[in-house]
Amino acid sequence: MRLLRKIVSVCALAVVSGVLPSGVCAQEQKLFVYTSMKESMLNDIRISFSKKHPGIKLDYQSAGAGKLMAKIAAERESGKILADVLWTSEVPDFYHLKEQGLLLPYISAEVAAIRNPLPDYDGSFTAVRLGTLGIAYNTRFIKEAPRTWDDLKKPAFKGAFGIANPALSGTAYMSVAALSKTFGWGFFENLRANGAKMGKGSGQVIDDTASGDLVASLAVDYITLDKIKKGATLALVYPPEMLVIPSPIAIFKNSPNVEAAKKFIDFMLSKEGQTIVAAQGTLPVRPDVKLLEIYNLPSVEDAVKRAMQIDYKQFMKEKEGNVKKFTEIMQK
Amino acid sequence: MGNTSRFGTAQFLFALSVGILVAVVAVPMLLIFFNAFWVNGHFNIADVIRVLRQGETYKALLNSLFLSSGVTVTGTLVGTFFAWLVTRTDLPFKRTMKLLFLVPFMLPAFIGALAWKMLLSPRAGYINRLFMDIFGFDGPIFDIYSYAGIILVETMYLFPFVFIQVSGALERMDPTLEESARISGADLFTITRKITIPLVLPSILSGALLIMLYSMAHFGTVAVLGAETGIYNIPTLIYEKIHQSAGSFDSIRTATVLATVLVIAAAFILWLQNRVLSQGRYQIIAGKSFRPSELKLRGWRVPMFVFCMFYIALTIVLPTATIFMVGGLKTYGLPFVSENMTWNNYKYILFEWDLTRDAIWNSVSLGLIAALVTMFAGVIISYVIVKMKVRGKGFLEFLGMLPFSVPGSVIALGVILAWSGKFGINLYNTVWIILVAYVARYMAFSLKANSAALEQVHDSLVEAARASGATMWQALKDIVIPLVRPGMMAAFFLIFLPALRELTVSVLLYGPTTRTIGVAIYTLNEDGETVYSAALAGIALVIIVTGEILIKRLVAGKNNG
Repeated sequence: MRLLRKIVSVCALAVVSGVLPSGVCAQEQKLFVYTSMKESMLNDIRISFSKKHPGIKLDYQSAGAGKLMAKIAAERESGKILADVLWTSEVPDFYHLKEQGLLLPYISAEVAAIRNPLPDYDGSFTAVRLGTLGIAYNTRFIKEAPRTWDDLKKPAFKGAFGIANPALSGTAYMSVAALSKTFGWGFFENLRANGAKMGKGSGQVIDDTASGDLVASLAVDYITLDKIKKGATLALVYPPEMLVIPSPIAIFKNSPNVEAAKKFIDFMLSKEGQTIVAAQGTLPVRPDVKLLEIYNLPSVEDAVKRAMQIDYKQFMKEKEGNVKKFTEIMQK
Repeated sequence: MGNTSRFGTAQFLFALSVGILVAVVAVPMLLIFFNAFWVNGHFNIADVIRVLRQGETYKALLNSLFLSSGVTVTGTLVGTFFAWLVTRTDLPFKRTMKLLFLVPFMLPAFIGALAWKMLLSPRAGYINRLFMDIFGFDGPIFDIYSYAGIILVETMYLFPFVFIQVSGALERMDPTLEESARISGADLFTITRKITIPLVLPSILSGALLIMLYSMAHFGTVAVLGAETGIYNIPTLIYEKIHQSAGSFDSIRTATVLATVLVIAAAFILWLQNRVLSQGRYQIIAGKSFRPSELKLRGWRVPMFVFCMFYIALTIVLPTATIFMVGGLKTYGLPFVSENMTWNNYKYILFEWDLTRDAIWNSVSLGLIAALVTMFAGVIISYVIVKMKVRGKGFLEFLGMLPFSVPGSVIALGVILAWSGKFGINLYNTVWIILVAYVARYMAFSLKANSAALEQVHDSLVEAARASGATMWQALKDIVIPLVRPGMMAAFFLIFLPALRELTVSVLLYGPTTRTIGVAIYTLNEDGETVYSAALAGIALVIIVTGEILIKRLVAGKNNG
């Protein structure tokens, strides 16, 4: 009986001390961000942001854009969106949410200093990063760096080139749409003929490239560069036609923490916030922030000049069809 | 006399039991069937058939059946063989071996799947690379991303179901039957065929059906190893449906149809099991404890011992070591040399990352509370079922055992339908929704353990107490509860330990702050953070195994004292 009683009291203690307070006392302001950015970037942002605004507790859920949207849709069904802020790279989602009137327009004072890539700007969402995607390859297997997109059809990449699933990853969808607009679906049919594979999330194809399961993949800049920093035998190259994909940030209209959310957007667009973004190995939106030389990234101006054309609204409308078409090609 | 009060207590207990079971079990299940067959208020079977005929659902169904049949066959063979080896032969260190063969039961299968992915993925797996780089093989020696790979990995972790049942039966078997056959001149082959196998067949079959039931509803291994090459089973397809198609109702409906199929299959297996177990002609196993005769392995003794050790090293030591080693790598894909190793992942996971602290906290508190709630609810409900003469208790029994035949993903789906705001209570994104699902899922464990204990308490004890003037409550508190305490304890641990490593249910229910350990490991792996997921898996293994050992000690100590 003593053991039983002990268990009961331990459990009771657990309930009282842990579960209740988290719901009851909410004195400090809270901010919840749904984002597709990875841990390596988010942790630094949280540390600096918490230093600057000690009264705001920043929390985030990091997952692929597709999963986050599914989560948001389910939360809308049940009546309450848990997130205050959304930050992914799937630009069409933002146009979609704006059309449905779910976003709160906010033009930060810092906007004047940024290079805004998004048309019809009204503050509903603001780009805080210019993500780039290049070809990451494993230097153990690939000795000659690919220079053009067409190089991926070469035998060196046979059966071991990966692209993340566009249904899961926002950057993957934007890339697939942009590449198919620029080179036609034939590009992917040729890749598939060379044995290219569809992976899962954007992080996983890069990890699989690092391990050697793939020899190369369509890869997001900072995720690749972080792994290179840790010693992975990877290299990242950009063909002449670049994939430059803005990652917008937005506030949900029904957020109870609007003030905190605005402060977060201010912070992300400030020189300090943008310096963190640049330090992760991705492009900032502020031209006045210096890029780190070790990453060897193209400058913001150069990248924008070389970028493939993106028609955001078109991409939004065509999303379902594009994903289906791509999946069909890759599973043939 | 105290007739009215007795009536009152009985009614109260009955109402309480029904209330608990209806809320956590019946409503979610009914909603699944309702959503599967009713569209816009109309009964619609055509739509169900349409869903079932879609390529992917049809394929997932076939995959589920094929994979679980495969695992059942291999798991039964492996389990039976080792059970025979440790009970009926003169294998060295038999007792230790028997314990070692139970270790896979402690380890979560999806962590094993992660380890085997690291070892045997076609191009990067360490074993495959060893053969390709050093021995100059052209291709991988084994591709784990295949049906065979999934079946092998599941077999490693599920064979103990058969092993436990069969070694128990072999130990309890009356050896005089075999001896009389031998005296009458039968050779070993004939004895095995005509006596031994028929005698242990019910145990083999019931273990095999347990494997099948478990494997069919298993999420982790297929999710880790199958997704690369597009192998889905029903639970992984339900997961994809819920997580990818932006939560539209259409995808939820497809999921409910899949869930219904899974429930029907599981119910069929359970029915089959009941039939097998109730077949009288096999019940010749005596309950008395005999010392079975041992087969002398002679020249085979050492090779068999080496084989067992090799099997244990391959299926337990190697994957576990791989998890810990990869968890210590700076980044995935580097060779294991000292300059690539670091403690930082473990440090980060343990002390710096909120997510993992949340996950460990969530899993432990969910496990404790679910076990506690289920333990007490289980006592009350089984008391009503076993001891009370109330009308409608058959219905109660049916409700309580229902979750046992219902796979985890189906329970999760039902809980989403019932508790995300449509009926006034919204638990979505909170730990409570996972708690409700755990209570539903593990209720059957608690009922089994508690009713077994209650059946041994003779009615006369309570009657005596009542005759001496005790109230119903007093009789329960002072007589029944102390007597069924071992059953309650057993129920508690039967629930707490599996809940600690649970993935199938929580992966469908987690919210941003409510990840469990299983979900955290799984999503880290899915996001391509292989080294972090390995580090967390290593830590989880330590927690789980320590928990198991501590609890075994604790329980053993209590029983002896």
